[in-house]
Amino acid sequence: MLTERVEAIRRNYVEAKPCISYQRALIWTQSHQRTEGQPIAIRRAQAFYDCCDLLPVNIFEGELIVGAIGEFRKCGILTPEYSWLWVDREMDHFDTRPQDPYVMTAEQRAFVREHIFPYWKGQSLEEAFLARVPAETAKIVVDTGIVDNDSKWRQAVGEVTPDYQDVLFAKGFGGVAAEARAKLAALGDTDADSLDKADFYRSVILAAEGIVRFANRYADEAEKLAAAEADPVRREELRAIAQNCRNVPANPPKTFHEALQFVWFTQLGGILSENPLALNPGRFDQYMAPYYEADIQAGRLNEAQAQELVDCLWLKLSEWVWTISANTADYFAGYNQFQNLTVGGKTREGLDATNAVTYLALKATEETRTHQPGLSVRVHQDCPPEFLGAVTELVSKGTGFPAIHNDAVGYQMLLNAGYEPQDAKDWNNCGCVVPHFRKTGEWTAAVNVNFGSALEYALNEGRSLLTGELMGLPERAASNFATFDEVKEAFFRQFANLCRHSITATLVAQKLHQELVPRPFLSATIEECLASGRDLSQGGAKYNVGPVITGIGLAVVANSLAAIRKLVFDDRTTTLAELCAALRADWDGFEELRQSALVAPKYGNDDDYVDTLAIEIANWYYREIHQYRDVFGNPFNTAFMGISNYIPMGRVLGATPCGRRGGDPSSEGVSPYVGSDCSTPLAAMRSAAKVNQEIHSGGTLLNLRLNHELVATKRGQANLGAMIQTFFALGAFHVQFNTISSQVLRQAQAHPEQYRDLLVRVAGYSTQFVNLSRSMQDAIIARTEHAEF
Amino acid sequence: MPSSDPSSGWVMNIQNFSVNDGDGIRTTIFLAGCAMRCPWCANPEGGSLRNPMTKLMSVDEVVSQVLRQLPFLRVSGGGVTFSGGEPTFQTGFLRALAGPLYDAGVGLAIETCGTFSYLDVADVLAKMDQIFMDFKHPDPAAHLRWTGRPLDLVLENLRHVRESGADYVVRIPVIAGVNADSETITRMLDILADACPSAKLEFLPYHKLGFAKYEALGKPTPAGFETPADADLAEYQKMAVQRGLEPISYR
Repeated sequence: MLTERVEAIRRNYVEAKPCISYQRALIWTQSHQRTEGQPIAIRRAQAFYDCCDLLPVNIFEGELIVGAIGEFRKCGILTPEYSWLWVDREMDHFDTRPQDPYVMTAEQRAFVREHIFPYWKGQSLEEAFLARVPAETAKIVVDTGIVDNDSKWRQAVGEVTPDYQDVLFAKGFGGVAAEARAKLAALGDTDADSLDKADFYRSVILAAEGIVRFANRYADEAEKLAAAEADPVRREELRAIAQNCRNVPANPPKTFHEALQFVWFTQLGGILSENPLALNPGRFDQYMAPYYEADIQAGRLNEAQAQELVDCLWLKLSEWVWTISANTADYFAGYNQFQNLTVGGKTREGLDATNAVTYLALKATEETRTHQPGLSVRVHQDCPPEFLGAVTELVSKGTGFPAIHNDAVGYQMLLNAGYEPQDAKDWNNCGCVVPHFRKTGEWTAAVNVNFGSALEYALNEGRSLLTGELMGLPERAASNFATFDEVKEAFFRQFANLCRHSITATLVAQKLHQELVPRPFLSATIEECLASGRDLSQGGAKYNVGPVITGIGLAVVANSLAAIRKLVFDDRTTTLAELCAALRADWDGFEELRQSALVAPKYGNDDDYVDTLAIEIANWYYREIHQYRDVFGNPFNTAFMGISNYIPMGRVLGATPCGRRGGDPSSEGVSPYVGSDCSTPLAAMRSAAKVNQEIHSGGTLLNLRLNHELVATKRGQANLGAMIQTFFALGAFHVQFNTISSQVLRQAQAHPEQYRDLLVRVAGYSTQFVNLSRSMQDAIIARTEHAEF
Repeated sequence: MPSSDPSSGWVMNIQNFSVNDGDGIRTTIFLAGCAMRCPWCANPEGGSLRNPMTKLMSVDEVVSQVLRQLPFLRVSGGGVTFSGGEPTFQTGFLRALAGPLYDAGVGLAIETCGTFSYLDVADVLAKMDQIFMDFKHPDPAAHLRWTGRPLDLVLENLRHVRESGADYVVRIPVIAGVNADSETITRMLDILADACPSAKLEFLPYHKLGFAKYEALGKPTPAGFETPADADLAEYQKMAVQRGLEPISYR
């Protein structure tokens, strides 16, 4: 049961439209105007400090956890230092764009165009990337849907798990600043390395002092409001808020409430500094439990009060929006910032990790039905039955949460990436499904690669089917391929070319981030950065893991190669020439051939004929990507995630031999192509589990849809728990379930105003269904419903 | 075991991820052939061995398909349910399937309309963890008219099953137009209370999901049968409890 207060905050969250605030951008710009000539790390830290000092303080009604990034309750900020070109191009249509609209008034837009953008002309990361990326790579990488990494040059990297355990809760930001001062004092000034480190430590001091200043201003405001407050209950609450903000985040927290407020200040600092995706709360139940236990023992708090506070944090996490371009919004749909919060699993010592806070977190997601945090769970084979029961019960509520992960495979993925075993055991999820750890620098979502394009170029002489342009390597006509192996060779040749461009684009972006946008605030939350005197962007973390290249369309390509092998080479019912003509015609006039293609073996039905192709493609992809090294000399990594990438990538892909029409969505993660897993979810699981998941250290994602009736009862949930454990025993990493009937979803399409709190999984996360564009909604409805009678 | 058991038989369907046919996650093997002729049947393709919707499959084929599901069956505490048609109709084939699955440690259940000759199938039934037995009508004349088989045979087999000590559930298909009225249900429950006191009992409300199969077979779809009202079903549950019977559900 939500308290009245939380219900009121929740209602506002559901109903409020996301508004853009330019306050942060204005302060950031004016600060940079004042610091011309200074080292970039200092300039950015100073701009952050100035935001903390000057951004208007907003305490909203009934809040127990405070801190806002702008004047609106549901708010997004602008970060012109990364990109302003797309904002300039798109903001006149912010409120009418189909995916993730924002409200921005004409006055706001005029102001921003006059007072903010001009300063950043020629200065932004986006412009530097576009100027620097080689033309050949740009052709395939910039807004094409073939190889896409715009979230790494129109945005900051994000993708950080702050270290609450060893840094923030242990020292407070005051302690971090003190440590940085001591390090600074100990440095000489006669070697180049020390000069860089000095800049870094100064930037950390500024950032740490900034967030403390911000908190103190909230303490001031809370005291002011308390003095004027007539209601004695609210007055006490405001006084407590003031006290919390005086103590944290300067000092280690003393209570559960302070710890939660500290977490939110850390998020705020991250948001103000770079508008990040995937700024992860991490293993929340592990670092919050001691405060909870102490408060309960001392009688300072009861469980209901603790629940209410956690609910409040969930709402704060959900009230800000990630401001992104329409292109990025296609890939990361649903106002989602991917703040991943992971509970359960094992401790560093290998014991079961579930505790009271684990259940507070599960309950908060169930009751608030907010789209953030991205709740993930780690399930091990011997986890407490009540934990697995609570997980499956949450699944049955139909929010799409939690994302369910195999404890042992996450551990294995980190071991494969070079982590020490204890650290590997301590893993959390980053953003989507990527296994991560709080002492890490990693681009966990560096590039998306459209597998379908590789096949298209192989079959169409290197050309795009939709535009006719030569986008891949020149290739002979497909009618010349005499064997299936020749088809595969051509496919892998084109595929290698796309991989090459994804590497180039990432290296250019990595270098630019190092040059232009160091990250003092977030670096201050990472232990080894402080110890080594190096920013995250300079590889200061203990672990620097190679960037993750995500493959989109594994099922489509496996299905297509299977169809070619079956129809052309095994059954000989068609020739490659005829098949390619059918693809060029988008199947018009080739209906019979299309039907044959549609009934050829499909991945997701536990059929080795096609599943072995999926395995071959995935293994090849791993080896190909892994041979490349990033700016730190670390091997690149692979992943099969989803988010909503498969929709824009499908849009630029012509018809494919599996029977898919041109422009239709591709496939996501290791999930079957929508509607083609016509057997049971068990078969889909079997197919997915074959794909050697543990080598793809960027994570592997499987989305399944279950009819609600299947999981509505305790018995149904027990069956679901068994399915999950079996799937994990087969070696898989992740699964998540949508359990809403398509009937409800169609109703939501027709009457969005009545379904604003309806959450749905959209690959890798959950969001409000009514916030999705029509095509996204249709794609979800079409996802196979597995109902057995 | 008779070595003349067939190495193949007629199969309607092998349905994985069945969750309403016993404990856990199960694979239901629908075997063709049935001695009854119930006009409301949702699996009309089970009425004959050889028709457009059945397939001849070898024992090995069926068993290996089932064993693919073993991890899911094991972890969920499920297994295989034999259904159909009437699974005891192809007695030899049923025996040939049950043997290797039993030996592989798979949990076994059977859904039967109770028209078998007990001595012919006693050894196979002994391998079952659970036996679901249908009971369709209390009146001998009506039973014969509706199903084509005598009530006595069904009740006698129910007695055999009870005496064998097996774990069994009596299943009553509740059909408006056949037996879904207070008087008929009362008679059925009284018979059960006497013949198998405190037995487990499952009410199965009529449904029309099998209609497409009638059309596929070129047969007219059943007429005159309806799903009973929820209130009636609730009433029947209460009546069962009053007589010391134990209504259960796998829904």
